[in-house]
Amino acid sequence: MKKSFKLVAVILVALSMLLAACSSSNEGSTSTSSSSGNSDGGESNYPTKPINIIVPAGAGGDTDRNTRITAEYLAEELDGNLVVSNVNGSGGTVGAQQVLDADPDGYNVLAFHNSTIINSLLELADFGFEDYQLAGSAITDLSNSFIVNADSEFTDLQSLIDAAKEKPGEITIATETGAFTHLQLLAFQNLTDTEFKIVDVGSASEKTTALLGGQIDIIPTQLGLVQEYIESGDFRTLGVMSEERLAGAPDVPTFVEQGVDLKFDKFFYWGFPKDTPQEVVDKFSKALEIVTNNPEFQKEIEPHLLNANYLSPEELFEHFEKTTEEYKALLDAAQ
Amino acid sequence: MFDLIIEGFSLVLNFHTMLLILGGTLLGLMFGLIPGLSATMAVAICLPITYGMGPVEGFALLIGLYIGGSSGGFIPSVLLNLPGTPSSVATTFDGYPMAQKGLAGRAFGISIITSFWAGLISIIVLVLVAEPLAKFALNFGPFEFFAVALLALTLISSLSEGSLLKALIAALLGLTFAFVGSAPIDAYPRFTFGMNELSAGFNMLPVLIGIFAISEMLKIIENKNKISTPGSQLNIDQAKIKGLGWPLKDFWKQKWNFIRSTIIGLGIGILPGIGGGTANLVAYGTAKKQSKYPEKFGTGIDDGVVASEASNNATIGGDMVPLISLGIPGDTVTAMLLGGLMLHGLQPGPLLIEQNGPIVYSIYAALFIANIFMVILLYLGMRGFVKMLSIEKYYLYPIIIALCVVGAFGVNNRLFDAFALLGFGILGYLMVKTKFPLVPLILGFILGPLLETNLRRGLQLSDGSFMPFVTEPISGLFLLATVLSIVFSVIKERKSRMNKSANIAG
Repeated sequence: MKKSFKLVAVILVALSMLLAACSSSNEGSTSTSSSSGNSDGGESNYPTKPINIIVPAGAGGDTDRNTRITAEYLAEELDGNLVVSNVNGSGGTVGAQQVLDADPDGYNVLAFHNSTIINSLLELADFGFEDYQLAGSAITDLSNSFIVNADSEFTDLQSLIDAAKEKPGEITIATETGAFTHLQLLAFQNLTDTEFKIVDVGSASEKTTALLGGQIDIIPTQLGLVQEYIESGDFRTLGVMSEERLAGAPDVPTFVEQGVDLKFDKFFYWGFPKDTPQEVVDKFSKALEIVTNNPEFQKEIEPHLLNANYLSPEELFEHFEKTTEEYKALLDAAQ
Repeated sequence: MFDLIIEGFSLVLNFHTMLLILGGTLLGLMFGLIPGLSATMAVAICLPITYGMGPVEGFALLIGLYIGGSSGGFIPSVLLNLPGTPSSVATTFDGYPMAQKGLAGRAFGISIITSFWAGLISIIVLVLVAEPLAKFALNFGPFEFFAVALLALTLISSLSEGSLLKALIAALLGLTFAFVGSAPIDAYPRFTFGMNELSAGFNMLPVLIGIFAISEMLKIIENKNKISTPGSQLNIDQAKIKGLGWPLKDFWKQKWNFIRSTIIGLGIGILPGIGGGTANLVAYGTAKKQSKYPEKFGTGIDDGVVASEASNNATIGGDMVPLISLGIPGDTVTAMLLGGLMLHGLQPGPLLIEQNGPIVYSIYAALFIANIFMVILLYLGMRGFVKMLSIEKYYLYPIIIALCVVGAFGVNNRLFDAFALLGFGILGYLMVKTKFPLVPLILGFILGPLLETNLRRGLQLSDGSFMPFVTEPISGLFLLATVLSIVFSVIKERKSRMNKSANIAG
């Protein structure tokens, strides 16, 4: 009898060690693997161990989805393990901070989007995009949209603007305070000289819930996230904030067409902590570029109304600078 | 629908897929039975493994993990007074005293049987009436959520022993811990003392496992003289199980309790944002409140174990309701599953069943089968689990503490959470020593954010008016129930006090 207890104890110890080993690379998340590189040190052989990717947002959202899809292809390209971990909290600043504080050895990467700009403009974070060693961007989402219930009185932007002028501050529109969509609302109000009742309802899925439940009149969100509800006849879109109509949704008019000059792009970027070896970042960027040009990857993200659009670290930096100026102007105008 | 059910089962009923469900359930049970590791972690770790599989196989594995991980938690609750998962906290209240009386086998029997039936009922509800239920849940906006959370908070009185004042202090302490971090809505940092780590606040799992499991182990360490006599109060032979471990006629006696707890679990599961961690406490508190002999709760009676275990397995089907019919995740595990659906190229949303009927029904089939595997595995393993008690505590506890730390770290991949776990363990220990009840703290901690966020959202919607909280029908009803609940507790308290003084006088 005594023997079997010892056996149980041994198994428990073994299990705990296994888990501890897993968790050093695998904490609560994803390991997208192909065959792993197994030569000793040196940046030319990068990666020699799993790369830890931090998504500063929860599972089931678009940041998480886009990162995981890209990571799958990157793993193949880099011939290594990519471990995607969700680190939630404070509009993304917790995860973003964690990467800044991590070892700059090339095995800690942040996968986030332009909320970084808004976080620093609104002083939710005391750091910004310039604090990272940017590796580039692979995905741009141009499908920023206003969504209403199918039985809503609003059929297009004009009807919305008219109604808002008639009863200022009464039409409810959802937001997550400090998020990218909040900026869109401020810009829209400013541009059309209207006033809405802006109500916080939380994350993308909570916005969808609130609109389905009729607790709110309008939600700003990515068209790619709510296509199903439009198809099912629950929701309707009032337009997209892109330069031209989207290839994947040619029937949806742009805001510009409807006389509201509002254009936004949500770009998903990859950033290393400062002082990461340049060769490593270059290798990662190169892989990102190859993935972006991979027709299979393009085909996989197409149904989500995403664009495969590679930005090199330099292009990304410029884009960040330009966008920051725009957002700043919008925020100043709104105040 | 009937042919869809058959099609769903036919997709799953092959050797390969069944093996995945079985393996998933087994691994899930291990995650469930280790304090600190939970179904969420099991699903998170295995999600990438499913990339290489088809959606049916992938979800067979994930569902196995989900069911297993949600079910194994009662084992350490009963044997060691350590909740295996946040949703089996209430199982310790009566399960452990029962085991102390030498009835561990009975506690297991009750847990397994009620888990199975409650799970089964919730799955049937999911298959039959998911859509209308999810549509009804959509009526719950900020006003309603606030009212529900407030009602749940009134259970403090029935969920604590001894001084009501101490219980209220503990609850306020829990609320205060919930305030730490970025405020909901405006993300203003509170009580962070300039520490970046604190801006995300405390996570539920480290707080819960720290307060209950770590403090319990500290308590044991304190009695180090007794540590060398493992299983001292517990006769292992007595823990043997006859038949199913629980006579049918005793089950029959619990039918109302069982049904009520299952409905509570289902309801809390269906509401997005609240899950098993709340359900088991609410069901236990309600069972005690409705009982004719509330004073016996906590001494090792069937009622307590039934309430906790029925409600936490009923949340499984409940959580899946909004996920499948509307594409809305109900809690952290279903958020992972939602991500899984997307990564397998399925668009979650109201058209999911229409467009991917066979796959959705294969998920239903996997739920049914995993629920059965769960029972079989638990009955087969029961003897082994009881033997866990004979492991010397000085081998067992260090390992469990290590696993708790790993689990706490895994929640959000931050070392901070591991330290939080230990800190809350010490706090829990001090509270036990000073006779402060632990459950109100947890209730305050879980319900705090729900109360605050929805109060503030509601006030944004109503331009600062409190009236809609009362005038909205569902919310008003819950608030009325809240008032009644408080009034009845006060009356009851008065009565028992009068009886006491009468006894003394007599």
